[in-house]
Amino acid sequence: MARNIFDYVFFTEIMQGLGVTLKHMFKKPVTYKYPFEATPIFERFRGVHYMKTDEQGKPKCVGCYLCERVCPSECIHIETDAGPNGERLIRKYEIELDRCIYCGFCEEACPVDAIHMGRSYDVVRPTRDGYRVNIKFLVKKYKEYIEEGKGE
Amino acid sequence: MLTVKIDGIEVKVEPGTTILEAAEKAGVYIPIMCHHKNLNPFGACRVCLVEVKGSPKLMTACTTPVTDNMEVITNSEKLKRIRKTLIELLLINHPLDCPVCDKGGECLLQDLTYEFGITKVRFDEKPNNSPVDHTNPFIERDIDRCVLCGKCVRICDEIVNVEAISFINRGVETYIGTAFDQPWNCEYCGQCMSVCPVGSLNNRVYLFKNRPWHLEHTESICGYCSCGCTVIIDHENNEVYRIKEDVYKGVNKGLLCAKGRFGYELINSTQRPVTAKVKDGNEFKDVDFDGALNTIYEKLSAVISKYGNDSVAFVISPRLTNEEAFLAQKFAREVVKTNNIYSLETINALPDGTYNDVESSNALIVFNIDVTESNPVLGYSVRVAGRREESNLYVFYPNYTPLKRVATEFYVYKPSELYNEFELFLKALDGENNKYSEAADNFKNDDKPVFVFNPYNPKDVEIAKKVLDKVSNVKLVPAKAKNNSQGIVDMGCFNGMNPGLVETDKGVELREGIEADKIKALIVLGENLAVRSEYFDILNLLNDLELFVVTDPFFSETAELSNVYIPVATFAEKDGSFTNFEGRVQSLHKAVDKGVKTDKDVIVELAKKFGTTLPYETDKIREMIEVENPLYIGVDWNGGIVSYPYKVKIDGDVKFEIKGSGKYELYPAYLRLHSGSYTRRSYDLSKVYGEPIIEINPEDAKELNVKDNDYLTIKIGNDSYKYRVKVDKKILQGAISLPKDFKETAPLFYEGSYLKVDLIKHI
Repeated sequence: MARNIFDYVFFTEIMQGLGVTLKHMFKKPVTYKYPFEATPIFERFRGVHYMKTDEQGKPKCVGCYLCERVCPSECIHIETDAGPNGERLIRKYEIELDRCIYCGFCEEACPVDAIHMGRSYDVVRPTRDGYRVNIKFLVKKYKEYIEEGKGE
Repeated sequence: MLTVKIDGIEVKVEPGTTILEAAEKAGVYIPIMCHHKNLNPFGACRVCLVEVKGSPKLMTACTTPVTDNMEVITNSEKLKRIRKTLIELLLINHPLDCPVCDKGGECLLQDLTYEFGITKVRFDEKPNNSPVDHTNPFIERDIDRCVLCGKCVRICDEIVNVEAISFINRGVETYIGTAFDQPWNCEYCGQCMSVCPVGSLNNRVYLFKNRPWHLEHTESICGYCSCGCTVIIDHENNEVYRIKEDVYKGVNKGLLCAKGRFGYELINSTQRPVTAKVKDGNEFKDVDFDGALNTIYEKLSAVISKYGNDSVAFVISPRLTNEEAFLAQKFAREVVKTNNIYSLETINALPDGTYNDVESSNALIVFNIDVTESNPVLGYSVRVAGRREESNLYVFYPNYTPLKRVATEFYVYKPSELYNEFELFLKALDGENNKYSEAADNFKNDDKPVFVFNPYNPKDVEIAKKVLDKVSNVKLVPAKAKNNSQGIVDMGCFNGMNPGLVETDKGVELREGIEADKIKALIVLGENLAVRSEYFDILNLLNDLELFVVTDPFFSETAELSNVYIPVATFAEKDGSFTNFEGRVQSLHKAVDKGVKTDKDVIVELAKKFGTTLPYETDKIREMIEVENPLYIGVDWNGGIVSYPYKVKIDGDVKFEIKGSGKYELYPAYLRLHSGSYTRRSYDLSKVYGEPIIEINPEDAKELNVKDNDYLTIKIGNDSYKYRVKVDKKILQGAISLPKDFKETAPLFYEGSYLKVDLIKHI
């Protein structure tokens, strides 16, 4: 009982709390001021996809539909056709980022090392329209990765 | 019967059966690559090697006949090892481009590689890498992927009998190609491509458009010519991607022609309208389906009340299914109460012979028809019969057709002489001694003679009748033109014929009715009158009709003249049945939905406006047909054959007429890769044959100083028509051929099917 009165009179618990605060004032902070500061991304993080290009800058994708086949959330849509010289032509390569579960199966299935999971995650948009990305976007992402040295 | 033990399972088989067939009977699986059901055993790939007890060597299952008490082991460690090595040897040179190869997913080599668990080839891989051949409009050829199974070479030789491709060189240098590497000279039937187990021969129309694992398959009946081939429609998201065959299904036994295999792109065509149009003044305005029906209803009721029921006429096209045709005539006869129902088909010749009759016959006459163009799959049957050692095939035609290779005798005469020559043949049948005596005797004395002819030419029908009179056991095969040419007539879509070819009151003749202004409202279901030469001259009269309704999948030349146009479904978009030239009724199944109505919708909904309820479900309509159509009582809608009351019917003598006084004799050719006005909408078929072309003999060409692709003017009387030229030595000197059924040739053939014309080089 006496102890309780002592604590009550001298606010020891508040002092203890202030002590913790004081202790942390001299420690290195652990919070990041997102979005003003970048957070660290781990090696195996799977973010928004990118598509590799060949030496001529053309996307490496050959339109084999394997990523579309393997995708569990069915968010990849491909349309192909024969080109003027009888080559495989990719008419459409789209990923619905809002449906994607970022499992990385597409990356695993790709026989020509074209589609990859990138590291960026900041794709929040106010509407759903922007979530359907095409091959142009994916190639642009790859360029960004090369420039920023974030690629493989 | 022989007793064979396969993997311990005992089966009894006929002598001459191969181990493979016996294994199939025993339910034992033996991997095969170069074997095909329709082809002779070849034994090239050695994948089907089996062990036979008592024999030190391995045997190929596909070529070895069984003996009594034979014991076969199909699955042992030794065999597995050997088969694995065989596949590994094939994979040395085979490029591993499965992701970009169209066959990826349905490739036999891929399947076998997977089956034998080959993950690494033990030999040095040296994939071939030569350029891909794109010279053929329908078939892409990548010889690097070829495994030399020879299926393509064999089917082109054994079944199609064109021999366009063969093995070139020997040993490791062997490849499949044409003699001296010339461009492919073939019929584009695509049979070689359909049997290729790997991606060496690929469909260019389907090339890279989709992958096999996406496609849904619907079995249906081809909608072009009257052969009634079973096709597998491969589709995804209401888009037809490919038309395939199935060797185990249908009258065609897995054979298709260029039209059926490659002419499907018109179903997906962006030129197809999806909304109905109503003419307002001189302009067409888009309206919804109900709006169009209301317009038809209002105008039709106005015409009926003002001019009477007989002022309404219906023209039904063979594109309609039996069910639709039945409803159409029912609507006309019972709702509108008119007898003016027409189709441009014939009732002079009805089905008699079947594919079986043709194939098993040893004496055939093909008279005045290029059956390999008009009905290609029937053409294959004729070839099967013609190729047999003991068979006699006699062909009468104004030029050499591909049947020349198999015909015992090919009689080529100008049209004017052809009929006279056949008269001689008929006399020889009576016993007169002339140059046809031997042929006539062979024909007369055979068990099952077959006579193939064109049922649309009255003179030809008369000749068929004469043949029937002289040789009573002959099977007549009228090579009908369109998919349901026979069915719509059976369903009573013919002037003066109720369903089941029962005679009824005749309406006014179509031509007379329009000319004399007796017909005020014309409803054309699917027919393209504008390209029919018989009606070329009255086209402008159609503008004066109070109501002119056209339904067609495309905005056709006829639709342009109409007041109301309703886009309708093609054969891939509806259920129903077609009756082919054998009289065989086969069901088709809806594969895709392009968002357009069918002819059935149009009729049923229109009847509803008139206060009559017609059944909509296929089953219900079929029940009605089985009650009202005596021919179809108890018919099997999946391949049953209808028996007809007569074979040919023609009154009196028909005279062969040839108009004009020119130097050259013109006769109608059968459309190259086309089947009437509909297939012209196919981009791919039109790449090969997109416009009517005059075919001319090289000697005549020299005299006229023309080469391929020049233009010639045909002059008859005061009229001149200009067409492109193709010089071909199969044509007789002094004769020229030109296809009918093109808009450009309709005015010329209005003068007559056979003409004497003058030719002038067009500069």
